[in-house]
Amino acid sequence: AKSLTGRKKPYRLSELARMMYNLDLSPAEVIAKWSHKDDNLDEDAEDGEEDDGFFKKAEAEDASNSEDRSVPVFNYEALEEKWQDEHYLETLKKRFASDRKSGQGEKDNDDE
Amino acid sequence: MADETVQPLAKFTGHKYLVQRLVLATLTGRPIRISQIRSSNPTNPGLAPHEVSFLRLLEAITNGSTIEFSYTGTTLVYRPGLITGSAEGLGASGGVLRHEIPGTNARGISYYLIPLCMLAPFAKDKVNVIFHGNGVITSATPGVGDVSVDTVRTAILPLYQQFGIQNNIEIRILKRSSPGPGGKGGGGEVQLVFGHQVRLPKTLHWLNPGRVKRIRGVAYSTGVAGANNARMIESARGVLNKFVMDTYVFSDVSTAPLVPSQDKTKPGEKKRLGIGFGISLVAESSTGCLYSADVASPPNGGVPPEDIGKQCAYQLLEIISQGGCASKVAAPTMMTLMAMGSEDVGRLCLGRDVIGSEEMIQLGRDLNALGGSGWGLRDANTEEGEVVVSVVGRGVGNVGRKIA
Repeated sequence: AKSLTGRKKPYRLSELARMMYNLDLSPAEVIAKWSHKDDNLDEDAEDGEEDDGFFKKAEAEDASNSEDRSVPVFNYEALEEKWQDEHYLETLKKRFASDRKSGQGEKDNDDE
Repeated sequence: MADETVQPLAKFTGHKYLVQRLVLATLTGRPIRISQIRSSNPTNPGLAPHEVSFLRLLEAITNGSTIEFSYTGTTLVYRPGLITGSAEGLGASGGVLRHEIPGTNARGISYYLIPLCMLAPFAKDKVNVIFHGNGVITSATPGVGDVSVDTVRTAILPLYQQFGIQNNIEIRILKRSSPGPGGKGGGGEVQLVFGHQVRLPKTLHWLNPGRVKRIRGVAYSTGVAGANNARMIESARGVLNKFVMDTYVFSDVSTAPLVPSQDKTKPGEKKRLGIGFGISLVAESSTGCLYSADVASPPNGGVPPEDIGKQCAYQLLEIISQGGCASKVAAPTMMTLMAMGSEDVGRLCLGRDVIGSEEMIQLGRDLNALGGSGWGLRDANTEEGEVVVSVVGRGVGNVGRKIA
């Protein structure tokens, strides 16, 4: 129903599906666009691309992001805060087999 | 697949996703050309030591591959051959291929193991590789973000079961090591036995992530007191006990490996390399999904084990909260195997943050560039807002097994 105003809603799947194979966008740009974080970042990013000569050096030395990582860099302080928040804890508890007695009920949740 | 018909080179740029592209090229049999490998890097242009080492490994387990570098190492042309595995007479002796990793390597062994496991089911013969040398780091690497060998063993290898690949698969950790000074080198030794080769992996339909029912883990200390393990485990359990009672973390204490010192003035002298500790946690759901988290001490030290344990627990919670049937670590393996399956639609449920990551988008594009079909995406209609990815397999599978 809201498909026409879809620009306003981030993380719409059809948008991702459309951009996925649009090779004009780099994966980073796709994610920025998908999550709608790009609205004001757009120009900055393009400026970065246009720069040449000396400015490129700094970009190349951004080592944290230049290698393939399989464990992403987490901000652990933020994570710690997040996972002490009751709200998040409650939402996450749903993802766990929530029987209180250990050693029992492993089978019970299998068919969920 | 060294057929005579000339296939056009699939062209890629940049050093990122190099291993992924090499693996996909090998699996699909398409020659590829990768240019601009760190060409803008003023100090270290071209291929890095770990990438060269991976290319050597690739050459060792395939037959008929050709690899050409440009003079500066910034351009690479790779024409894949047949994946032979550790067949006798092709570099392997006694059915075991020994791959030495040089001491300049800064990547964890999982950097080699995970792609090698993707190739192994499609090999002609079983794959049995021992990684040794001064560059084998079995722990997680905090600097470059590789998972530990324990995570590969407990969270990646079991995934192959979903594809009907389950017999005689094992990772043996012969010697543990943490990263050496500056994050470079280690002295570990790891053996991968992958004895189940298939014609085609089974088509996967995995839509229900289920609920997390247990957490297992390994805490490891190399060259430091075993009390570090207990401290990591205790703080990790402190966070996780609220969620799952069934939490058990194994503790593995070993000495740091002894390696020949590179000091020219004292030949024959040996030194300890790769001191540190870390923890790997794996949560298993009722439907067999595995979520993993890895944290290890930085090579410079200075982080107490309590923090490492706690960070790992929080990381695990974060990964579980991303949802889906596969975490970011596991998703590339799953998607690659699905793409290599029979000409049927396989489906996998992934969290929004997992599919919406640069790695996955790039994987989709690389698969497409190498002749795979596009992914279909649709909403999974769950609370977490997961995404169902459907993949049509290529139906080519294992060329070496076609006749047998």
